[in-house]
Amino acid sequence: MDQLSVKVEDLVVSYGSFVAVNRVSFSVRNSEVYGLLGPNGAGKTSTIKVLASILAPASGKVEIVGKSLTDEVSVKSQIGYVPEEVVLFDSLTPREFFEFASSIRRLATDTVNPRLEKLASAFELKQYFDTPIAALSMGNKQKVAIIAALLHEPKLLILDEPLIGLDARSSKIFKELVAFHARKGGSVVFSTHIMEIAEKLCTKVGIIDKGKIVGEGTVDELRRLVRSAEGSLEDIFLKVTEQEAGLQDIIRALETG
Amino acid sequence: MKFSKLWRLSSVVYKEVSFQSIFSLRAGSLLKQRGKTDIERLVRSARLNTLISKSLTAVFVGVLGLFVFVPSAVNTPLVLSKEMAFVGGVSAFFAGLLFLIAFMGLQVTTSFVSSKVVDVLGSLPLSRNEISKIIFLCLVRIFDLPLISAPVVFLIAYSFVGGSILGALVSVVCILVTEVFALALTIGLAEFFYSRVARGGRSKGQIVARFVFMLVWILPTFAAYFVMSFSREIVQSFAYFVLSVSSLPQVLALIYPFAYGFLLSGLTFPSAVDGSLLNFSIVASIGYMAIAICCLRWVVKTVGRIGTGRMLAGRFETAKDTFIRPRSPWVGIVQKDLRVASRAPSYASLFLLPFVQSAILAVSFSFGGMDLTKTLGILVGVSMIMLLLPPTLLSIEGISSAYVKSLPMKKRSLISAKALLSVGIYLFSLIVLLGVSSFLRQDLSLLAMFGVAHSLSVSAAVMLELLLLANKFWREGFAVGNLYARLSTYISVLIVGLIVVLAPIIAAFIAFIAAPYSVLPVFAALACLEFAIMATLTYRAS
Repeated sequence: MDQLSVKVEDLVVSYGSFVAVNRVSFSVRNSEVYGLLGPNGAGKTSTIKVLASILAPASGKVEIVGKSLTDEVSVKSQIGYVPEEVVLFDSLTPREFFEFASSIRRLATDTVNPRLEKLASAFELKQYFDTPIAALSMGNKQKVAIIAALLHEPKLLILDEPLIGLDARSSKIFKELVAFHARKGGSVVFSTHIMEIAEKLCTKVGIIDKGKIVGEGTVDELRRLVRSAEGSLEDIFLKVTEQEAGLQDIIRALETG
Repeated sequence: MKFSKLWRLSSVVYKEVSFQSIFSLRAGSLLKQRGKTDIERLVRSARLNTLISKSLTAVFVGVLGLFVFVPSAVNTPLVLSKEMAFVGGVSAFFAGLLFLIAFMGLQVTTSFVSSKVVDVLGSLPLSRNEISKIIFLCLVRIFDLPLISAPVVFLIAYSFVGGSILGALVSVVCILVTEVFALALTIGLAEFFYSRVARGGRSKGQIVARFVFMLVWILPTFAAYFVMSFSREIVQSFAYFVLSVSSLPQVLALIYPFAYGFLLSGLTFPSAVDGSLLNFSIVASIGYMAIAICCLRWVVKTVGRIGTGRMLAGRFETAKDTFIRPRSPWVGIVQKDLRVASRAPSYASLFLLPFVQSAILAVSFSFGGMDLTKTLGILVGVSMIMLLLPPTLLSIEGISSAYVKSLPMKKRSLISAKALLSVGIYLFSLIVLLGVSSFLRQDLSLLAMFGVAHSLSVSAAVMLELLLLANKFWREGFAVGNLYARLSTYISVLIVGLIVVLAPIIAAFIAFIAAPYSVLPVFAALACLEFAIMATLTYRAS
């Protein structure tokens, strides 16, 4: 239970002279669902891409399931990743795409197929198995990415805005799957803009703004941080990221305009 | 909306299609992690690439005019009259132009479908008709240089052979008709491909249909190549046909592109051409012009539909099960690459290019017996085309790089898979080469022995290219844009590959001078050594 699934120390990510993530540190324990919240351009996706071993950090120390990111292949085999922007091989069908992903992950036919059958039925994707991904709706593409991330029963799920485009039913199933994954001892790093979901799903929340973690803890701990007994996560978020001030003026200006 | 405004709007779409086709879509959503300056550099590079591509086609049109039409029309075969040779030359030029533009168009239509430009235009206050016109004008912008160069080149070439003013004016109209036919052929093939072929489906029939269409897709390339390489032979064959069947000219005068050949011949040599043949060709030419007008309307309407990307969206295959068969990683990569290539015309044509090259080389070198010089010359030709394949194969990973990079893929697996596929294509090209040579009654022993031995050298070159590119672009996800943006890297990798494939050939020539009996052992030993070194380096790649 106490074992760390993710350990990030002084992470820095930069694009040229622009520093997107500035000395960020946090950790995620096993069975924990860690929500990474922040306004647009705060550095959430950059942090998540480093965790998924897609982006090389400028500096800092990152360990995934006790392994350094330099052990790239071993780290990646423990991760299930859903990118923010689902860009898959559009000319392949979901069946062909899953076949490719399973081949790279060296999954056995008899173990992967029962799991795939269950996931495809749960997300109602079965009927589209032989349709090119290019012809699928955004939601169905998202389902393909989610199923591909879950196929190999990873220890760590890294999800970048995974609920975008999902219908209510699939969204509910996905949230249940995430909760189940954590109950089984797996961990989740989750980025979202939807505060209600983060509030319900995440056991711990990190608020990132301008590349820095400006608040971290459970929702109750964050309430104490902003000295508010009842505020929702959205209120807390706006206070912590100092976006609350002047918000009412902007809304009034828009209404009168 | 005024034409000038539509033309201006088409410029924005054109820039976007150029950028998306080369970078955005193939960078697999990784563009965002690049700096502003880098993106600006990519945008400039995309425009430059589009310009280079257009200019190259325009150069080919120039070659077609000056080196195919003029010699065919001037160096009259002995058996043929000057005006009939002129008919052959004009017909060869028009056929070459048709296939050249169609070949370029087939590469471009992929970006139209994938960029889904109409989705963006659709939200603006524009009618469907206006959107179609904008997309069509964008298509014209993509082809502008070849479309303009064709009449210019032909008029220059026509003036060399002493053409008339009326003939020049009519030739411009004939070229416009040909250009419309080329666009219609492109769009027709693209529509058929995206509505019937590029969908999923596991049945053997669908797999065969995809393979057959890949061959159809390569036909314009083959035809353009063929016309340019064998124009003289084509004109001579035309002469023999005309002489052997007396009523053939009357029939040909009605058939495109010969109808234009007879028409322009009649206008250039009025006293020498049979009046009835001229009348036939005038009637046929007017008919083709009417068909071209209908084709133009159809192209404007259809190109808008292709741009919506809805051609694919309308095709759903209801699956009965979810069963998959995972393979070993490298087989999975090869399988995926073949599947992507079978549905992406631009990749498919590159996959098939070595086969076309082999067939053309076998025909080109078929005059006289097969000796060592010819054998090695053919192998240089086939292996040079092969060197283009590894960068293309790596660029496939760029399509979905954001996802692929999250997979536990080993560099070694990636390089092995792509190398295996490239070498497989080389060996199939060798089979095509041997098949065509055998058909032409050539001695196959030298080709077979040196070809098989050279496959080791080609494998080494391919592995080296892949290793260099993988080391450079592993972290960036192999977006093809990355390669084009670093043109110097791309070219230097090709040069290194070329050195590897040429080394045994040069050694063989040296051996031939020093000790003729040791040519094959020297050639094979060097190829083996290259292969052994590169296989070791690939195995060690982490």
